[in-house]
Amino acid sequence: MATDKELSDFLENVERRAFKQAVYAVRKDESALDIVQDAMIKLAEKYGDKPAAELPALFQRILQTTILDYFRREKVRNTWVSLFSGMGPSGDEHEDFDMLESYAAEEGSEAAESGADKFERQQTLDIIDAEVQKLPARQREAFLMRYWQDMDVAETAAAMGCSEGSVKTHCSRATHALAEALAAKGIKL
Amino acid sequence: MNTDDLNFAYKVRHALNDKLDELPASTTDRLAQARKMALARKKAHVEVPLAVRVVKTELAAAGSGFMSHFNWLGRWGMLVPALALVVGMVGIYQYEQQERIADLAEIDAAVLSDELPLDAYLDHGFNAYLTRSE
Repeated sequence: MATDKELSDFLENVERRAFKQAVYAVRKDESALDIVQDAMIKLAEKYGDKPAAELPALFQRILQTTILDYFRREKVRNTWVSLFSGMGPSGDEHEDFDMLESYAAEEGSEAAESGADKFERQQTLDIIDAEVQKLPARQREAFLMRYWQDMDVAETAAAMGCSEGSVKTHCSRATHALAEALAAKGIKL
Repeated sequence: MNTDDLNFAYKVRHALNDKLDELPASTTDRLAQARKMALARKKAHVEVPLAVRVVKTELAAAGSGFMSHFNWLGRWGMLVPALALVVGMVGIYQYEQQERIADLAEIDAAVLSDELPLDAYLDHGFNAYLTRSE
């Protein structure tokens, strides 16, 4: 059974990556924060008594489910909104979503620091971040769980609800897609 | 995945980790707050004396029964107005049908009880009917 300290350490270790994962999926910081909070609470409430070793896979599964729930709620909400709003102007923020705009808006914290290297490195990180977000959802999930969350193939397959072969395929495609996209932008890792 | 792909994947991982350091303070604060909230919820399951646990379980059972009832209401909350709407529409349709039948019956009765118009006697078919009925 995970102690309070173990659970706290685990959540602290995973919370920022979970937040980014949620942002990649839902593209809204505020919603992503809510999703991570829900996932953390569900983990603590329902699986707080599980061994610490099982927490990463459980948390990923809960996180993915919570993201799916978010999309389901959004779909229902949008159905009702479009039903009642009728001919009003389209308010779907996903339609004209511009990656560069949102990333430009998130910047600014390091505006005081300058220097060509710093700037170039920053740009590279931004581009990698944006390209990861552009990956198809399943490929991105598999890639992030395998190489960012340090989950093995079996754990990733369990969290994604697919076969281990599919996880490998998704990871391979994601890696190649990312490599191609970054190479096209002149970035070599 | 070959070694090059793995190396690439781990370099991306490194870049993503670097990017994590740029999260604004408001976000990290909110995450820390969420973590504390989650840990506080876990504390509720900490070992408690048996007597207290029994009472708590009973209370929780009663509470969850009430809550599940409430959830049930919430889940079907959309269905009840929809059903009411359908029943209302069917009712209105039936009422309109009855009204229409009543109107037609009234007109039929008026036609049947009226004296025959003169033109009717000019109709050969009608004459044939009269002679046959005699």
